[in-house]
Amino acid sequence: MRKLRLCLCALLFGMGFLGAQNRQLIYDFYEIPQSLLLNPGVKTPYKWQFGVPIISGIAFQAGTSGVSVNDLFLNDGLDFTDKVRDRLVNSLSERDEFGGSGQIEVLNVGFRNKNRPNDYYSFGIYGEGLIAQYWPKDLAVLAFEGNANNLGRRFDLSHITTQGEVLNVFHFGINRKVNNSLTIGLRAKIYSSIFEYKSSNNEGFFETTAGENNTLRNTLVADVEFQTSGIREFLDILNDDSISAREELPNLFLKRAFFGGNLGLGADIGFTYHLNKNMVITGSLLDIGFINHTKDIESYSLRGSASNEGIEIVLPEALNDLNNNLWQNLIDDIETQIPFEANEDSFISLRPIKLNASIRYNFGNQKLKDDCYCGINAKNKRDGFDYKNALGAHLFVINKLKGPQAEFTAFYQTRIGKALAAKATYTANKFTFTNIGLGLNFQAGPVNFYILGDNLTGYQNIADSNYASLQFGFNIISWYK
Amino acid sequence: MKRVPPLLFFVLFLTFFSCAEEQNFNQFNDLSVIPTVATSILYFESPEEVINDTNVSNFFMETYVFNAFSEDFVAERVLDGTIAYQIENTTSKELSLIVAFLDENDTVLDTEIFKIEAQPTVFLEQEVFYGAGGKNLDILRNTTSIRVTAENRGDNISESTVNDPKIILRSSATFRVQLQ
Repeated sequence: MRKLRLCLCALLFGMGFLGAQNRQLIYDFYEIPQSLLLNPGVKTPYKWQFGVPIISGIAFQAGTSGVSVNDLFLNDGLDFTDKVRDRLVNSLSERDEFGGSGQIEVLNVGFRNKNRPNDYYSFGIYGEGLIAQYWPKDLAVLAFEGNANNLGRRFDLSHITTQGEVLNVFHFGINRKVNNSLTIGLRAKIYSSIFEYKSSNNEGFFETTAGENNTLRNTLVADVEFQTSGIREFLDILNDDSISAREELPNLFLKRAFFGGNLGLGADIGFTYHLNKNMVITGSLLDIGFINHTKDIESYSLRGSASNEGIEIVLPEALNDLNNNLWQNLIDDIETQIPFEANEDSFISLRPIKLNASIRYNFGNQKLKDDCYCGINAKNKRDGFDYKNALGAHLFVINKLKGPQAEFTAFYQTRIGKALAAKATYTANKFTFTNIGLGLNFQAGPVNFYILGDNLTGYQNIADSNYASLQFGFNIISWYK
Repeated sequence: MKRVPPLLFFVLFLTFFSCAEEQNFNQFNDLSVIPTVATSILYFESPEEVINDTNVSNFFMETYVFNAFSEDFVAERVLDGTIAYQIENTTSKELSLIVAFLDENDTVLDTEIFKIEAQPTVFLEQEVFYGAGGKNLDILRNTTSIRVTAENRGDNISESTVNDPKIILRSSATFRVQLQ
């Protein structure tokens, strides 16, 4: 029961990670060097930058679609079972999900090439985690109602869709100002997986119908797989009383984080293009890559089909074959027809590719030279910014376990004095249509601090919010003077 | 006038505007998940020809291992339920079917006896409820085998006029199970 409770709480709070992974507040907010991680071709008006280790970039998102913590756990005196039945089992669809994502930057360094000043290099390390648990609607109905009152209904096993992972990412990017209108960028990545689990693209069903001979016939057709890598060793440590989990778990975690586990390769690409003096378009494709899982694999499959109508005794055949263990034979037959098998087969997991695209209209007194969005050609540090005020739109699409998922953002961006820049966003996604976000970037000399919060209206009753996101960090930046 | 630092701004914002209604996570302890599950149990079939060819009245008696109800998962969670029997007799003779529930010592815990007249009285249905107000659930929880006995209460020579005359027993169980 405790495990079930933990699972439900983890789901509802998005204790893991993978809401939408959209970071619309920081995208193209290029006063913040971390915007390079969302578009390697973003404008880079810096000479060099150095993220304060561990606290240069911290981002968390969590979301639920269709139900909130408040819907279930509000102390309203209603029967909890009724709330679960009405608001989860009978309301959510198999496309509803719980989850979130998180990212902690360990190292982030950037510098401009002295010999080729149009090139800006950046590299670093960040840890990333995500979890996505889609609501297994048919299995939930089966568990809550059973099959007796659902004769003829096919309980769809494809509703089993889940994913979770923690990994460390090492990256190196090149950002090049091609001309005064175009900047392009490329970032190479090495993924060092700490652990991962995934179950998707499952097929099959469970169905109870009228039997051919007996009253009822139960049929199970299954093609289900659950893949894990890197989890078994963690569990072994937790289950082994002879070793100290407090010492061994961090050691294993660090070993995996620094190339001691399953590795992968990936790339980000992006650009920024000035259509004219005031209009800017950007785009990026992130995490075009894969992880090759060959170590510490433990996967499970359930494949096959079987039907049964109980034990059958048919004369005269049964008179000649007095096998009195028909029940065990029945179980053995089912296990043969639908074997539940474990394997250690290696597998490749593709990274969730993300697409960003934006258009921005700059207005206000920008104090720019003509035909120049400056960057390294700037006369002073403020000239590196191509806007005083900006309005724009941003599209984010992520390829998830159940196909692409899009989010749309409208934003307003402004610079206030020398030190402060602000960005306000409205975002519509599957978690919420009332997502108002606000980001602030503060520059005090070389010290840069930013904080960005999403779905601020949800803070009026955080438990009733379907989505929450927070990002902040410190950097040291040297601007061109 | 000094500018308000952004971190302080955010902290103030969240302090003034964020709140949450009172939550009670202990409600989870009240969650009750009780599905009603149904499955066939036993199918027995004998043609009239076999009955006529067997000279003894008990033309069939056999004991079968049957752990379905005594499995821990079921025994510990079952709340109540019904076993439904359907007996179809298209033979020319009166017959009895006896289903006995036995524990691991082969002690008979309970017996269901079905007597059905000769054709055309062809169909008999009976439901047996287990749980509060019905038979004791422990009968099922302790059942590790069932004995099926078929008895001919008529003659060995008559033949039914219907096509392919048989005695058939169908049975299924419908139980409420406490998962949580």
